[in-house]
Formats: sequence, C-alpha cells, structure tokens
Amino acid sequence: MVAVDVINFQDSDTPLHRKKQETDTYVLWSGPPWTLTEQGTIHPFRKTHKSFLGKFVQEFNLVASDRRSWKILLFGVMNVICTACLLMWCNSTNSMALTAYTYLTIFDLFSLITCLMSSWVTMKKPSQLFSFGFERFEVLAVFASTVLVQLGALFILKESVERFVEQPEVHTGRLLVGTFVALFFNLLTLLSVKNKPFVYVSEAASTSWLQEHVADLSRSLCGIVPALSSFLLPRMNPFVLINLAGAFALGITYMLIEINNYNAVDTASAVAIALMTFGTMYPMSVYSGKVLLQTTPSHVIGQLDKLLREVSTLDGVLEVRNEHFWTVGFGSLAGSVHVRIRRDANEQMVLAHVTNRLHTLVSTLTVQIFKDDWTRPSLVSGVLPAATLSASDYGGASGFLPPASSKQAEELDPLTSTPTKPSSPPPEFAFNTPGKNIQPVVLPSTHQHRPYNLGGGLGVGAGLGMGARLPSVQGYRTSFSAAPHRYGSNLLPSQTSQYRP
Amino acid sequence: MDDKYSSNVISGGKLGRVEVPNARLTRYIVLLLLTKMLKALGIFESYDLLKVVHIVQFVFILKLGCAVILLFFQKPFSTGKMVAKRQWIKILKHAVISSIISLLGFFGLTLCGPLRTLLLFEHSDVVVISLLSVLFTSSGGGPSKTRGAAFFIIAVICLLLFDNDDLMAKMAEHPEGHHDSALTHALYTGIAFLGVADHKGGVVLLVLALCLKVAFSTHSRKLSVEIGGAKRLYALSSLVSAMVLLPWVTVLSATTESKVESWSGLIMPFVMIIFSVMILDFYVESICTAKLEAPRSARYGSIFLFLSGLLLANFWTHPLTDQLRAMSKPGQQASTEHVLSGGVLVSACFFILSDSILSSPSKKGQKGTLVGYSPEGIPLYNLMGDALQHSSQSLPRFIKDSLKQILEEYDSRQIFYFLCLNLAFTFVELFYGVWTNSLGLISDGFHMLFDCSALVLGLFAALMTRWKATRIYSYGYGRVEILSGFINGLFLMVIAFFVFVESISRLIDPPNINTVMLAPVSVGGLIVNLVGICAFSHAHSHGASKGSCSGHEHGHSHGGHGHSHGHGHSHSPGGRGMNANMRGVFLHVLADTLGSVGVIISTVLISQFGWLIADPICSLFIATLIFLSVIPLLKDACEVLLLRIPPEHEKDLNFALEKVQKIEGVLSYRDPHFWRHSANVVAGTVHLQIMSDVVEQRVIQQVTAVLKDAGVNNLTVQVEKEAYFQHMSGLSTGFHEVLAMTQQMESMKYYKDGTCIM
Repeated sequence: MVAVDVINFQDSDTPLHRKKQETDTYVLWSGPPWTLTEQGTIHPFRKTHKSFLGKFVQEFNLVASDRRSWKILLFGVMNVICTACLLMWCNSTNSMALTAYTYLTIFDLFSLITCLMSSWVTMKKPSQLFSFGFERFEVLAVFASTVLVQLGALFILKESVERFVEQPEVHTGRLLVGTFVALFFNLLTLLSVKNKPFVYVSEAASTSWLQEHVADLSRSLCGIVPALSSFLLPRMNPFVLINLAGAFALGITYMLIEINNYNAVDTASAVAIALMTFGTMYPMSVYSGKVLLQTTPSHVIGQLDKLLREVSTLDGVLEVRNEHFWTVGFGSLAGSVHVRIRRDANEQMVLAHVTNRLHTLVSTLTVQIFKDDWTRPSLVSGVLPAATLSASDYGGASGFLPPASSKQAEELDPLTSTPTKPSSPPPEFAFNTPGKNIQPVVLPSTHQHRPYNLGGGLGVGAGLGMGARLPSVQGYRTSFSAAPHRYGSNLLPSQTSQYRP
Repeated sequence: MDDKYSSNVISGGKLGRVEVPNARLTRYIVLLLLTKMLKALGIFESYDLLKVVHIVQFVFILKLGCAVILLFFQKPFSTGKMVAKRQWIKILKHAVISSIISLLGFFGLTLCGPLRTLLLFEHSDVVVISLLSVLFTSSGGGPSKTRGAAFFIIAVICLLLFDNDDLMAKMAEHPEGHHDSALTHALYTGIAFLGVADHKGGVVLLVLALCLKVAFSTHSRKLSVEIGGAKRLYALSSLVSAMVLLPWVTVLSATTESKVESWSGLIMPFVMIIFSVMILDFYVESICTAKLEAPRSARYGSIFLFLSGLLLANFWTHPLTDQLRAMSKPGQQASTEHVLSGGVLVSACFFILSDSILSSPSKKGQKGTLVGYSPEGIPLYNLMGDALQHSSQSLPRFIKDSLKQILEEYDSRQIFYFLCLNLAFTFVELFYGVWTNSLGLISDGFHMLFDCSALVLGLFAALMTRWKATRIYSYGYGRVEILSGFINGLFLMVIAFFVFVESISRLIDPPNINTVMLAPVSVGGLIVNLVGICAFSHAHSHGASKGSCSGHEHGHSHGGHGHSHGHGHSHSPGGRGMNANMRGVFLHVLADTLGSVGVIISTVLISQFGWLIADPICSLFIATLIFLSVIPLLKDACEVLLLRIPPEHEKDLNFALEKVQKIEGVLSYRDPHFWRHSANVVAGTVHLQIMSDVVEQRVIQQVTAVLKDAGVNNLTVQVEKEAYFQHMSGLSTGFHEVLAMTQQMESMKYYKDGTCIM
C-alpha cells in the first residue's frame, strides 16, 4: 500500500491505468461529462442540460471540420430537397408505388447519415464509457436504417392491402417525372458518395433474393452472349439493383395506367417494390443485427476453430472453454477465452503462447488462465525449464526458428536480473513428457466429433441462417473437454464451477 | 470458371443429362403440335356444345365414346390378366373421381370460356408438382423455380383481377332457369356465396380442379401398374364412369326437356371432340412422354396448347373459321363472349414462361452456398445457392412444440394471450367490416393487424431468449430481447411519424369524418388494449420481483420517467424491472390505447360541437406522446447495443476497479471492458499486471469476487507478469508487436523500479 504514493509522480500519458489517489480519478476519467453528472454533486443540473444538444453540436462541428464530409452534407441537403419534392408529388399523384419508391430516397438519406457517422467514428478514440470504441455506432446506424426502411415497406404493404379493397384513382402526371428524379438522385448518391459501412455490409451479407434472381437471369443471358459476362456476372450492388427494379416497376405502372387505366397496377407495383425492399434490406439487417447481438461471425468460425485446436495442443493446456468471440465493429474481432492448464505448467508462458496464436485473428483478446487445485503448495507457478521448451514449440508458432533462439537468450537475461523470480521448479518432470506425447493422440479422435472439420467452408455455409446450431456446439464442447477426462483426476468440481459464469 | 458457367440454362443442359438432339425428335414435336392444336379446337368446340347440351350429358357422351373406342383398340377384357374384384372397386373409385374432375373442368369451361380454361387447366403434372414443391417446401430448386412459381401466381392473379371479361357481367345475372341440374345449381350457389363474379369463381374452380387432377393422376399411377398399364386403366375407367353417369343422365333426360333440336347434327362435333380431346391427346401424350421425356414434352405441349388457344380465340368468331365450327348459329351474339383482353394476353405470356421454367429439369448439386473467403475475410457466396437448407420438420409438430415453449414462460404467455385477443378482435372487426361493407372498419382492422406484427416480434424474441447458447451465440440468446425492444422502439417511432404527417395534412385540410361507426370500434379497441395494459403492467411487477436475482437491478431509464409521468398514467413506471422486449410491447399497447382514447375524445368533440379540427389535434398530441415515451426505451437499448458501461453499475464498477488495484501484488490494470450483454448477463474483461512473485490464481479469485460484487457475472481476467511480455516479445516476429511489447515491458520495469525504491 505504500506503493501508491510512489507511483503518483509518473506521467499520465501511458495507456495503463495507474494506481492513483481518489482525486486523481476525476482528472483521468473526465473525458465525457458522465463522471461529473454521475459523481459530482458539484454541477448537478447545468451539465446534464447542456450535454445532449451541446454535445451534438460539438460532435457535428468535429465532423464538419473535415472537408470530405462537406460533400456528404451537400448530398444530404440535396436529398432532403428531393425527398420533399417527391413526397409532394406522391401526394398529388396519389400513387402508392411512387411513395414506396420515395422511401428508398429516404433510405439514401439514412445511409448518408450513416456515412457521416462512420467518419465521426474514425475520429473518436475509445472513451471510458464506450471502452470498445465507437465503431459499433456505425453498425447500429446501418441496422437502424435498414430496419426503418423495412418498417416503411411494411407500412406500404398495409396501405396497399387497404387500397386493394378500394382502389382510388392515380394521376399519372408527375409519376414518370418523379420516378426519374428519384432514380437519378439515388444513383447519383450511391455512385458518388463512398459509403464505407454500407458497401461493407452489402458485400458481407448474404445475397438477397433479388440479387439471386438477377444473377440467375444474367447467367443464362451470359450463356447466350458471353461478352456480357464481365458486366453481369459479378455480384450486383443491391442498392443499384433495387433502384433500377423499382424504377422499372414504376415505368410499367405508368404505361399500364396511361394505356388501359388499370389503377390497380399502382398498388401491385407498390407491393412489389415493398417486397423488393424487404428482400434487399433483410440480409443486411440480419448481418448487422448479428454483429449487434455479439455473435461469432460465421465466416471466421473455421479459422477460429483451427486456432483453438492449436491452442488446445499447446503444452500444458488441458481445456479451452467459455470462448466468446464477436465483432466490435465491422471487421475487428474481440474475444475472451478461459484456458485450463496443468498444475505444473507455467501460466505466463501458456498465456503468451495462447495470446500469440489468437492474436492474429482476434485483436481485442482476453485470456484467463485457470489452474485446478492451485492452493496445493507443491508445484505452484513454476517456470518450465528451458529444455522442455523445445525450439520446435516456438518454430511451430512463428514459422521460423531464429527468433526462438534469440528469444531464449533474451529471456534468460531478465531471469537472472530480477531477484523476485521464484526459484526454478524441480527439473525432473516425469509427467511432462508424456503430456506432450499424449496430446496428439487425443486430438485425432476429437476431430471426428466435429461436424465442421471438413475445411470449415461447407459447415459454416449451412449455418448461415439464424437457426440454432446446437449439435455443432455439443460437438465442439465435447471435443475440447476430451482432454480433461484424461487428465482431470485431480479436478475438484467445486472449483471448476466457480469459474464458470 | 467453366464450372461457374455450367449452371446456366444452355450449357447446363449439355453438361448435365444428355438430351437427344432436337433433330431426331422433330416428328414427335410436330405430332405434339398437331395434337395440341386439335385439342384446343376440341375444347373450343365443346364450349359451344356445352351451351346446348347439359354438362352431365356431355361428360357422359364423352366418356361413353371414349370407352367404346378404347375397348376397340385396347381390348382390355380379352388381353392381359383378369381384373380381380378388389381391383374393380378401385377402378370404380378411380372412375368416380375422374368423372368428378371432368365435370368440374367442363363446368369451369362454361364459366370461363375456352381460352382461360386452356390456360388454367391444361398444365402437366410436372409443372404443378414443381410449383407446389416451390410453394410448400423449402427446397424448391433454386431461384429460377421460384421465379417460375411467381410467374404462375402472377398469371392467375392477372386472370383474376385484370381480366375485365364483359360477358361475365352478363352471365352474372343468369336467370334461374339456366341452372338445369342440381350439380350446376350447387356450384353456382357456392360461387355466389364466395361473393365473386362467375368468371372469377370459374378461375378459382379451375385452379382447384387442376390441383385435384394432378393429385389424382399421381395417385392413380400405382393403380395403373396394378391393372396393367395406364391405357388399360384408362379404358376400364372411362367405361365404368360412363356406367356411373348413366343413371344420372337418364333421370336428367327424363325430367328436363333438352334444348337440342337434333342430336344427329351433333354427332360429328362429338366424334371430333372425343377423338381430339380424349383419345388422340392421351395416346400422343404417352408416346411423347416416352420419347421426349416428361419435362420436355410438358414444356412443348403446354406452349403449343396455349399458343393455339390464343390463335383460336382470336379467330374463333372470325368468318374464316365458320366452317370449322359445328355450331354455326346465325343469330349468335357470341362475338362478345370471352374476348381476348389485355389481362388474358399478359397472363398467357406468364403461363407460357412459368411452364417452360417449371418444367425444365432441376439441376441438383448446385446448392453450395459458401465458396470461400476473400483475403479480407469477406465470405464469397455462390450466387445460386439457397443458404437456408433446414431439415424440414412437420408443421403440426413444430406448432405444438413452439406453443408449449410459449406457454412455459410468463412473459411469452402474456404476449401470446394478448396477441390472441388482439387477433380475435381484429378478425371480428374485419369480418363485420366485410359484412357491412364498411371501409372504415376494414382499414381499422388492417391497422390492427399491422400493430399485431409488433406483438409477434415480441413473442418471437421472448421465445428466442430462452434458447440455449450455441457456437455462434456464445453468450446465449438473451440479447435478442434487447434487439427486439430496439426494433419495437423504431416501429413506434415510425408509427408516430406517420401519425404526425397524417395529422399535419389533416390540420391543413380537415376532412369530413363519419363518426357513426367510429365510437363503438374505438371503445372495443380501448377495452382490448386496457386488458393488455393490465396484463403487461402485472407482468412488469412480476418481472421486477423476479429481477432481483440479476443482482443490482436499478431502473434503466433516467430521463424517461419525467415524460411518462407527464401524461398521468398509473402504469408509467412500466420501464422498471421489465426487460426491453416487454417494455417495447408495453409501449406499443400503450400507444394503441392512447390512439383509442384520442379517437373517442375526437369523436365526442366532433359529434357534439362539430369541431373537425379536434381529430388532427388529438392525433398530433398522440404522436408526440408516443414519440416521447419511446425515447427512453430507445436510449437504453442503444446503450446496451453499443456496449456502453451499464449506467446502473457504473459507480460500483469504479469502486471495484479501485479495489482491484489495492489487491496485494496488483501493479495496474488495462483495457477494462464492462458491458451489459443481456438482461441478466453483465460481462467484463480486464487485463491485470501483477508482480512476479504473486500467485496468479489467487489474484484472479480476488478480482472475480470483487467484480462479482459490482454486478459483473461473466468475467475474464488476464493476469500478466513481466515474464508474459518477455515471452510475447520472443514469440512475436513483427516489428510493431515487439515495439509495443517492449514499451509495455518498459513501463512495467518502471514500476518495479518504483517499488524497488521503496
């Protein structure tokens, strides 16, 4: 406890949170005003009042200071004007299909807002309150905008059903003009604004039915005219696709109303546009919703499994459990895992190895090392002798040998210099070598438990839906708990349960 | 790349099964074409015949003639093995059903006219089976089949809605004398009961008859094997059905006087129809199915049939074809009957398209969904794949299981009961609206259905929350609840927005409102919603008492209470203790209640004082209230979804972290992440740096205990000593990692020095 005073003179720039006195907390943690509003009886009211609007203006200024966001703002203003115009025309033409199409314009507005938000996110550093950073704001914005558009489409569906009962007259005067204005603005916005989050989501999410049908059609078209293949065969941008399809539906509506006065076509094409909106937005909202639900992205499961299998074959590791991996924003993985090790294994060594393996995939990683029966005094926290750490152990991880040897040299230096190191454990580890030999024997049998050891790809593909994947989990759990049955004779059940959440 | 292209229609055929080149099959195709043209002609003629001949007589004559010819050709009694008595019963059943189907088909013909009958009724089994498999099973066979099914449905809808068949209006006022038999009368009354025009009734009837026909023909395949060939069965069955129809025909001809002037003049057309529709078609169909394979013959056959039907429909009333027509009556006004309309043309195009798509053989083995990963980790999908390949579960079992699950838990049970109540009210309203032909009621009913979708969402979320953790959902499904609350919040925002816009437009131009029907409906809605509010507010108290298990359960909302108290509802503390999902549902019900109250108030104001402006003002007020009451829900849900430190644990966590630092041997901590995962999971990860001589497990135990007191119940602690950084710097080969590690090591050493000074 004396150490507290000593450390206080250190500079506060390092990322570590030092031990500090009570007064110090206010200085370090005062980034956002929550500490003041929550803890402070000092500014009880003024701060809360200002915080929302004032903060918004402040953040907006921060974003607007960047020149790139001016373009987005300009497009946003144009979009608002265009949307207002279109809504007026919707009212005057009394056309449901045009309304449904206008909602796509509104969606473009949302996507512009999302774009602004993503440029804001890149400027922000992780704060105390949002310790993972602000990347999730992007995900939430994508999710909210896709869901809002789908709700709008649901509303359109409801209105259209009501219209089927009694079809009002549709005036075609502004219908075609509105269609082309909306199409032009949508395409302009889509193609000229680089919308990072939506581009990512539209590529990463599974294909919508609209895309599938267009792909299918264009395949058969490419069978006839192969020259079109470079243009038609790549995955279509879903937004461009839905805009074109909606405009096409509106064109047909206009034609039929003009020629034959079929007013019901308007309602039908409104339904069609609403369904297409659903089809386009649904995969994206599923993808972003899964990120928000903190799920393991299915495309990394194969890689993760490989890494976890490697981890479980590390020397001294008995079991890997409570593994939680999820994406923070779009892309960056975070995760935590509990690793149970043998009583005589070196915790720091195993920790370093596990972290090293998983760090390639998981950027924000927390590994808890767990040891059974650690209170028993005999073999506590021993460092394995350097001989048991064969060079191949390192070479397998890093790929080449020289660093391993240099590392050992490096390691030896602090070992000798620090007096606080515990005395080295007894070198005669009779059961250390068997452990190394047995481990590979255990794992091949576990391979057969896994439903997805066929190279990840196929197994993952089958689980793309929201469906429960219970069997695979059980396979997984059993595969990793195969090891403790072998070693776990000295395992106390009370202690294992203590560390389970 | 070749593989990728192989799935297209053209080259896929080459790579897949080997098809006989068209040149060798030309004669069969020509034969098929001729047959189908004759068949279309026969159908057109039978339509004309059916105007004078009674339908039962007509079917009887057809069956009888067919039986006579087939007996002559097939000789079913003299050849083959004897037919057992049991098989005769089966043949009887077969005959009865087939005569019912032909009665239905020809009755549809009288209703719809020949062209529409051709379009609707003459699809081959292959087409209908693949249509049904697309519609009712998940493994339809790729997007192209789905497209075909969609085309089929669109075509039927086109016939139903966009085909303004003028004659049908005339036929609709058919005199009672037109019904000359009990059968037709029953069918007419059935169609009239459905409340659609005869023509549309005919369309529905024909679709049903088509399904029946396909089911029947698939079912009778086994019997035909048993009897000894389809042809023999056909011969026997038509004979039996003629015998079955005989008593009916005799009774009919005894009781009613025939409209036919001379039967002798009808012999030729009957022979023609029997030959073209019943005999030739049957034989050629069976030959072509054998030679061309079923899908191909189905495709060509339906295309030829539809095209010739279209041609005939165009020229049937033309003087050129008069010599073709057996029933050339001078004074016929038939020129307006069942004319070609745009709707029929469009639907014929769609039918041809859908038939050619649906009858093309499905290519298996293209369902691979995920082909690999791009270097950035973005998955690459095979565009053909349908990703959702679930093992199908029988529907009743699924319903039973999910019902059981719903009724197990309190929350979902509440939602479910309320949903049932709401749906019942909605359907009563809709039914009453249709009955009294009140548009207001119908639209209000649809509005209620729209609202029910929020309840359904809540129900699903409440159901999913209890699912077990899986590999993908490693923390369990608890978060679904929060997401559903968020979506419900957005839903309410959208509703508030629409109400707002609507009321603004009404404020500018207040429309006249008919208040007659409004009051009872809104009172009913109010009662239903009040029941819901009672149920859900009870649920929240229940939830609060149960919520104590999840540690420190402070209220979620800070700003929200002011608003909800603002409109003076006794249920306003609904936000407390309830999970986000239930809050969303509760707010939804509350909004509906507010809507009903607003309608009642505005109705009273309008009917008493004639203030038309009261309605938009009421809805403005309601929209604002909904908006304000949703904000706290959205805010809380956002905080959870964005992985903010849970506000109610914030202070505890700070103290806990300070306590952690005071634990013996702990030097510092970094990367403290704490977030609420779901209603009762607060997760956290933290990295600790400790001195080298401290036992890690003890520190972990202490830290876990301290943080558990602060409410974190899913904790991962990474304990790092100096040795860890040394190992890491040894293991990591990249320059940056080494740099970062050495920096961290430096800082640790610094500490150590600090402690060493002491």
